[in-house]
Amino acid sequence: MEQNRFNYYDILEVSPHCQQHEITTAYERARLTYSGENPAIYTMFTDIEARELLKLIEEAYSVLGNKTLRNLYDEKMNQTFVQKDDVSFENLKHASKLQSTELPKKSNNLRVAYTKNDDFEQEIVKTEIWSGPSLKKVREYKAFTIERLSEVTKISSYYINAIERGDPAALPARVFVRGYVGQIAKTLGLEEKKVCDTYMKTFKESLGK
Amino acid sequence: MSAQVWVVGAGKGGVGKTFISSSLGITLAKLNNKVLLIDFDISGANLHTTFGLSLNEKNLRLFFEEGKNLADLAQETEIPKLSYVQGFWDYWSNGVIHQELVKNLFEQAEKVNYDYVIFDLGAGPLPAHLELFKIAHEKILIANAEPTSLEKTYRFIESFICHKLKDYMTKDCQKTLQVLLREYRKTNHNGCFSFRDFLKAENGVSVDHFDLLNEKPLKLLMNGCRSNLDKDLGFSIKSVCKKYYDLNIEFIGSVDFDNAVWQSVRNREPVLIEKPFTPLAGQFLSITKDLITPEIHANLFKEVV
Repeated sequence: MEQNRFNYYDILEVSPHCQQHEITTAYERARLTYSGENPAIYTMFTDIEARELLKLIEEAYSVLGNKTLRNLYDEKMNQTFVQKDDVSFENLKHASKLQSTELPKKSNNLRVAYTKNDDFEQEIVKTEIWSGPSLKKVREYKAFTIERLSEVTKISSYYINAIERGDPAALPARVFVRGYVGQIAKTLGLEEKKVCDTYMKTFKESLGK
Repeated sequence: MSAQVWVVGAGKGGVGKTFISSSLGITLAKLNNKVLLIDFDISGANLHTTFGLSLNEKNLRLFFEEGKNLADLAQETEIPKLSYVQGFWDYWSNGVIHQELVKNLFEQAEKVNYDYVIFDLGAGPLPAHLELFKIAHEKILIANAEPTSLEKTYRFIESFICHKLKDYMTKDCQKTLQVLLREYRKTNHNGCFSFRDFLKAENGVSVDHFDLLNEKPLKLLMNGCRSNLDKDLGFSIKSVCKKYYDLNIEFIGSVDFDNAVWQSVRNREPVLIEKPFTPLAGQFLSITKDLITPEIHANLFKEVV
């Protein structure tokens, strides 16, 4: 508990497991409380303090109010939870500033560094029939995690997983799957049409049609 | 089964303590509970006036001065299942009420043959009030939207924190706490968020007692709300307490301003009896139900989620 004192959830006074709409309500209430001349802060917080709190609240909401950013933030908090023995106001402010500048950059930068392997490049060119496992191989070769791919393509990681497994039960109608595969192929720098056609052929067969 | 003891207090006078406590009592009685209201306004009783009853000798003075039993002092009202104990009306004859007596009163209140005992306190954080607030099962704090009331509400909460923490501290420690609290007010907190963190960061004072404070939180009720903004002040106060003291309080609801309230005081009849089918009565019903069966509402919420 104590370690987590200064996190965005605490600032907005909501539980980390709360629904998205609760965050919005909490934010609106907090904004009402700490901005303008709310009588509730009279004798408790000075104008300067209230403004500072409001800044924090805005910052917290700019992350938690956005579902994608919120997920990333949750991940980050989980990763560093054990190591952080002092989550002080200043530290967190610093960290959160870093994060808020990091995040947009991350999503703009589509290319991820990976080590080239000529043999594998050749293999990719030669591959005529594409399937889930081969897409997965290329993805791993290009150093894309599922989460990363999901962020770039805006396809849920659940579907990406299912596509790689070739599991029709977990996937929506065929036309959507085709769109997804096309997106993935494009992102991975593959020949979109070829990948789609061959993948969908096997996919149709696995559906039994 | 022992009675549930509720106390209704406020930082400022005239925010509706007596109105709220009598209305909660009436609502509880309507919900088929045996209720005893105790007028603990030591500066001058007036609970009887809201019920249209007159003063008599059978009052709390007998408990404090002649050692009478609380149960023997109960008098019936016109409302079924609702009894009350009259308060003092000779304040001058009494000095300070000792904590021991207050504790004794509370113990007797727990043992009386009622489902709920509601204390209607006087205004302000007097030691006797704080003591009752500390030990009661349900502590209800009333405020209204006026800045003066809000200010005094915070002073009350602060006094309550200090009073409660006293039990866990030596005399020296208390003094330090008082000095620190003053300092905390002056400084711009050096990046410390709440008073609790300030204590920890600056002085290494153990702050686990705050968790005890949060176990049975104060419950805040906004009275006389004229707009939604007034109601939202409840959430604001909650948030300020959390951020300033790291104290959890619960906002249990708000009661609208209603001209019928002061009119019925003039008629000396409780508004919930005079006008039982008003939005006001509905608000009291939902607040009371929330208080007596929180688990039902919690479970409903869980199911929805």
